[in-house]
Amino acid sequence: MAIAEARRFGFALERVSKRYGAVAALKHVDIDFAAGSTTALIGSSGSGKSTVLRLLLGLDYPDEGTVRVDGQPFDPSKVLELRRRVGYVIQEGGLFPHLTVSGNLALLPRHLGWSVQKARQRAEELATLTHLPLDVLERYPAELSGGQRQRVALMRALMADPDALLLDEPLGALDPIVRHELQDELKRIFAQLGKTVIIVTHDLAEAAWFAERLVLMRDGTVVQDGALQDLLERPTDPFVTRFVEAQRRLPEVRS
Amino acid sequence: MGRCLMLLALLVPVLAQSMPVRIGSKVFTESVILGELAKATAQQAGVDAVHQRELGGTSVLWKALLQGDIDVYSEYTGTITHELLKNVAPDADIPTLRAQLQPLGIGITDSLGFNNTYAVGMLADKAAQLHISRLSDLVAHPELRFGFSNEFIDRADGWPGIRQRYGLPQTQVRGLDHALSYRAVASGAVDAIDLYSTDAEIPYYYLLTLDDDKHYFPRYEAVYLYRLALVQSAPRFVNSLQKLAGRIDENTMRQMNAKVKLKGMKENVVVAAFLGIQPDTSADKGLAARLLQTSIEHIKLVMLSLGLAVLLAIPLGVLAARLKRLGQVVIGLTGILQTVPSLAMFVFMIPVFGIGTWPAIAALFLYSLLPIVRNTHAGLVGIAPELRESAAAMGLPRGVRLRRIELPLATRSILAGIKTAAVINVGTATLAALIGAGGYGQPILTGIRLDNISLILEGAIPAAILALLAQGVFEGIERWLTPRGLRLQARQ
Repeated sequence: MAIAEARRFGFALERVSKRYGAVAALKHVDIDFAAGSTTALIGSSGSGKSTVLRLLLGLDYPDEGTVRVDGQPFDPSKVLELRRRVGYVIQEGGLFPHLTVSGNLALLPRHLGWSVQKARQRAEELATLTHLPLDVLERYPAELSGGQRQRVALMRALMADPDALLLDEPLGALDPIVRHELQDELKRIFAQLGKTVIIVTHDLAEAAWFAERLVLMRDGTVVQDGALQDLLERPTDPFVTRFVEAQRRLPEVRS
Repeated sequence: MGRCLMLLALLVPVLAQSMPVRIGSKVFTESVILGELAKATAQQAGVDAVHQRELGGTSVLWKALLQGDIDVYSEYTGTITHELLKNVAPDADIPTLRAQLQPLGIGITDSLGFNNTYAVGMLADKAAQLHISRLSDLVAHPELRFGFSNEFIDRADGWPGIRQRYGLPQTQVRGLDHALSYRAVASGAVDAIDLYSTDAEIPYYYLLTLDDDKHYFPRYEAVYLYRLALVQSAPRFVNSLQKLAGRIDENTMRQMNAKVKLKGMKENVVVAAFLGIQPDTSADKGLAARLLQTSIEHIKLVMLSLGLAVLLAIPLGVLAARLKRLGQVVIGLTGILQTVPSLAMFVFMIPVFGIGTWPAIAALFLYSLLPIVRNTHAGLVGIAPELRESAAAMGLPRGVRLRRIELPLATRSILAGIKTAAVINVGTATLAALIGAGGYGQPILTGIRLDNISLILEGAIPAAILALLAQGVFEGIERWLTPRGLRLQARQ
């Protein structure tokens, strides 16, 4: 029952506009994120993809249009409860340096009234899920590698078993090998959990690895919304082709 | 009901009796001697008395007297007419002043017998050589060089006034510190200086005070001012105070000043010799006891003011970080507080808190606000936006975010602010002695007044040690309170 309900947790932007001072971050954007789906938001920096996540979390409110969460217009008076139903992971992890890994993980659960044991148990469960050695739980963020930090950030987002996961360039700061390894693991975890996932990245290959559906954004508008194949074969705009071709391939090496 | 009133009527004199008479003095030797004299007189009359010595300048003493923080202090008629009362002729006599002071609840004795006015002095043998004995004799010697204190040069009733009245032609007039001017005239660097007519140094340097033959300088007759309430509560004391009138002539005062200032005798010993009694030595303490007392006073000032400041400044800093506009106002206001000169700040507190420990704590408290508010604000505002955002995105309420995340992250900055405030506080608190709060400032003040280096050091060295100690203690607290994770992060 709980799982069935969780699967119904989706988001939608309807004709949403948002300005920051003179800069229009979003211009009349419509995107629907179905419950249980995985979507990748791609585009260059400043295209408005991070703003989408901020609006879904109520970290900002739209100037025009409606943000819907779970079918309902976003209710600012319930912002804290809505945020607790969504896990959020950012590029550098956003771990609090003054708390150990356990401390970071337990922050929300303890506020929600969980016992220390219950929080600990959940942390160990997630450590297994993300392949994090248990002794790391007692370390401080400054003592972790970049990959470990992102694993912990993901664990923290998952502690209270949210219905959706929003990830903003979660692997952007990692070296290629760790990044590759984590891409595999994240994909497995997404599949295992079956939550609504929205991942922001500027790497087309990474986006296509995680999600069937890609939403390409530019200057606050959606340029194309579809599968990788659509972008490759049926681009709606020359920009789509430019973006696709801008992804560097390995040079051919004759052996 | 009637019985109650009767009981009250019986109790009032008893209660009043049990409160010692509080005598104040300004921060120069003559005033301290006259304060000791009033105290000894009170004790002779069988009235308990305490002497709060070296309470700053005229304005501090006058305010304290009006507010009833002290009961008696010695003053000069010229000061009363020029600075304390309005609408009084500059040469008003004592009965006129008495009539003017009465509505304020203040009484005035007759002149103690000397006039401590401005005078101009020269080396006696040089004056004899040039046949100078009066100010008007100076007209014939335009080549003479004058060294006057800066205040004397500026005051309308100082150099500009006598130059005009006597038509003095001298052009070589230099500004000098009063304490140095005696040495200047003795060494021949200048020919004449301004002085107060009862200065101890006059006989010491063999100076002649020139006769003010055109009666230019106002009269500065020494008197005691006292609260008229004393007439009821300590009639015998007021009576003996009034009997001191006419008993001290200029020469006697000059010699008492000289014994304290030049021979290093204690004021109470000098006064006892004058009255022909045994000095009361019960208040004399050894170095260790004095140090203990000043340390307790000083630490109390610093700890209380700092503690109160922390309680207010951290919430203010949090508020300032949260509300930008208000924050600028708060930081601006505390910044303005910081620009108020310390002595002025202490004096401003007198109308509100009287004299003693509390106004000093209030002033130090206000000084401590800025560093703590600013550092709390800076610490909170300086938190990386992605951390702030992560905390918000978790769905934690503001209060929890502040307590569990933002304040811990700002710990270092806040503690650094408290440390700065503490060190500033230890230094500034030395001025608190000027409004009767004691502390390390007391020996420093007395030392400056008596030109006694070892007394100055008795206050200055412990103050410096306390400042270092405060620094060390707060660094320890910082290390102890800064979360380990932040220290690790800082090392990277």
